[in-house]
Amino acid sequence: MRTRELHLGLMFWATGTHAAGWRHPDAVADAAYDIELIQEVSRSAERAKLDFVFLGDRLASDPALQHSNPAQISRLEPFATAAAIAAATTHIGVVVTANPTYSDPYGIARLLASLDHLSEGRAAWNLVTGADPAAALNFGRDAHWDTERRYDWAEETLAVVRRLWDAAPDPDGTGSRRIDHRGRYFSVDGPLDVARPPQGHVVVFSAGTSDRSRELGARDADVVFAGPQPTFAKRKEYYADIRARAARHGRADRVAVLPGLTPIVAPTTEEAVALHDLLNALLVLDPEREVGDIVRAGGIGEGHRRNLTSASEVFGVDVRGHDLADAVPAAVLAGVSEEGARRLAEITRLTRRTVGGPAPITYGDLVHATPAQLSHVVVGNPEEVADMIQEWFEEGAADGFNIYPAYVPGAVTAFTELVVPVLQRRGLFRKEYRGRTLRDHLGLALPPR
Amino acid sequence: MTGRTGLFLAYGLPDAVLAGRPADAVAAAGRAEAAGVHALLLGDRPAARPGRPAPPAAIVTASVLAVRTRRIGLVVDAAPAYHEPYNLARMVASLDHVSAGRAGWRVVTGADPEADANHRREGADPVDGRAAREAEFVPLLRDLWDTWEDGAFVHEKDTGRFIDPGRVRVLDHRGPALRVRGPLNLVRPPQGHPVVLAPADHPVLAREADVLLAGSPEAAAAADRPVLATVTPFVAGTEAGAQELHARAGAPRSDADAAVLVGDGPSVARRLLAWADRASLHGFALRFPQPEGVEAFTALALPALRAAGGLVDGHGPATLRGHLGLARPENRIVARLTAAGTERSRPR
Repeated sequence: MRTRELHLGLMFWATGTHAAGWRHPDAVADAAYDIELIQEVSRSAERAKLDFVFLGDRLASDPALQHSNPAQISRLEPFATAAAIAAATTHIGVVVTANPTYSDPYGIARLLASLDHLSEGRAAWNLVTGADPAAALNFGRDAHWDTERRYDWAEETLAVVRRLWDAAPDPDGTGSRRIDHRGRYFSVDGPLDVARPPQGHVVVFSAGTSDRSRELGARDADVVFAGPQPTFAKRKEYYADIRARAARHGRADRVAVLPGLTPIVAPTTEEAVALHDLLNALLVLDPEREVGDIVRAGGIGEGHRRNLTSASEVFGVDVRGHDLADAVPAAVLAGVSEEGARRLAEITRLTRRTVGGPAPITYGDLVHATPAQLSHVVVGNPEEVADMIQEWFEEGAADGFNIYPAYVPGAVTAFTELVVPVLQRRGLFRKEYRGRTLRDHLGLALPPR
Repeated sequence: MTGRTGLFLAYGLPDAVLAGRPADAVAAAGRAEAAGVHALLLGDRPAARPGRPAPPAAIVTASVLAVRTRRIGLVVDAAPAYHEPYNLARMVASLDHVSAGRAGWRVVTGADPEADANHRREGADPVDGRAAREAEFVPLLRDLWDTWEDGAFVHEKDTGRFIDPGRVRVLDHRGPALRVRGPLNLVRPPQGHPVVLAPADHPVLAREADVLLAGSPEAAAAADRPVLATVTPFVAGTEAGAQELHARAGAPRSDADAAVLVGDGPSVARRLLAWADRASLHGFALRFPQPEGVEAFTALALPALRAAGGLVDGHGPATLRGHLGLARPENRIVARLTAAGTERSRPR
């Protein structure tokens, strides 16, 4: 078994991954269409020797997301973006999200192979099946497919795509053959028209918490991109589960588990807490009359609304009708539910404010802790953030992280310039790239045909 | 066409150039741009052919070339048969953003059994309803590009208003072949609509496209929009040298897809200009089967064309529409709503 290494990627959301990130005074309000900025952000990740830049996707748009998740309204198509990033960089991997539910295997195989050629071996495919019902209506369907059908379809797609890569010609034109696939869903003759990808098989990422998604990740993916979990114990359980499933498929050390992580980092703890507070203060809250679940992340996660009515529901105590800046009396918080208590501990971890302490928890803190988080958040100085990363890595909760910058580009450079050097100094993260391909960065061998 | 100030030239680079090292394709694009060529045509056919591997998918190559060039247009091939309209709309629109307004899409039509055989899936066979799908595709993509009005993204940091929901349109397209709800997940492209190119002899698409591609100069007569004739030139320093190149390439003859021109630089330039005048052509789509052909045409024929005042001035606006003299289109959805009297007046 090879030495375990920490892997770090950059999740690029043009407005930042914090819902109000784009409103930060230093933020570029919408970097989605500024290809030079996207290239510059990618180069800063490359200077820090990160493994990859990650481009998410959503096959629908909804103006109603403008306050809850503006990043999910609009973006450039990932392959066009990835090609432009590849043209501006030399080492960093480029991860493209493509959804088999709404694409065909031949098209996916040749787009990914093409990106692998033009990046000279740095492409990866984030395989998603689309938890988002809205997309179905943009693709001629009346209804969203259920999980079983989406995963059956995705698994056959992945098998066809890999067969096409294996049956593709070498650069000199030799070695190609038809695949004559006749499956449950697809009929594909092949061969692939473009040459076999430089990485043999383009690296595959997958995500998800359902049984089907865990199984696909453990059996077929090189990287499992893990969503949020409510507790550290659950995080370790998830990690162990993927490892155990991978071992059953004979690939125990071949799957890296990388959760998302939002670092709110500044030179001092006080500055980091102030930055976290500033970002939350910029959130546009939901009107009090609106309650119940809202799709906040375009299928990535659902959650409660941002108002005191919803906070009352989540914390199990009536906190309606208060000024958000006011401290919540300790007596009120003594009555919270079990879930409420868990969230109070989270608030303290992030804001350093405590129940009944000198800096008390406010009503605003409860509102901000009410919707589900998109990823784990850590607030602190560079050493504190590095401590958290090291703990998760060493305690068997993660092989690394997909870093979610809260705003662009400032939160990217805060991580690459403040935290990465600490990780390097501790011997946890590479100081130089070992090779030129994403497989090299991830320590993955070239697959045989 | 009256009012023409010069020819528009597009190069179809040879597969051997585009399938080579990325740096070589970028260099070839840069040389064409420096020579004053107005656009590159990037083929894309999702089926293997004998011999060497095909170039990477056009949209991926085009995006790389877009960020390595400044002025040259980038036209990608795509067949409605093998694309979902929502996916293709955003790919071409994205290329328009990445290139700051230099994207075009050549609509590939007609039967292709080898490509069909790579794209069958449960409930969908490219053979079925191909013509209906092709007919519905272009207007649908134009509508999708218009689902976000210009100015719909406001980005007001002080108020927290990210968009103006009044400038977003759900399309809810339900046609005979295609259904798409919308809106697209993309800001309206810089050109409004990327330039759409289609065959001049297509009964439906010739009415929907911005620019028509004709297989022979004669086929261009009487069109009401710019027409480019497709030509395969064999150019060398001498007439005899050109004849030899042509012979070595198998002596191809003019056919329904392209006219073949053989000669030294000045004579090829003269004949192109004469064709353009006689048939009121807007310009030419030049095909180069061999890498040497590109450099020979650029070095020997292009200067003669320019000397004769025959090229569109390269100093106009650096968008593909600008090179073609095409206006930025109005928003079709808003125009329809306004015509129907359902659009409220909305001071800015």
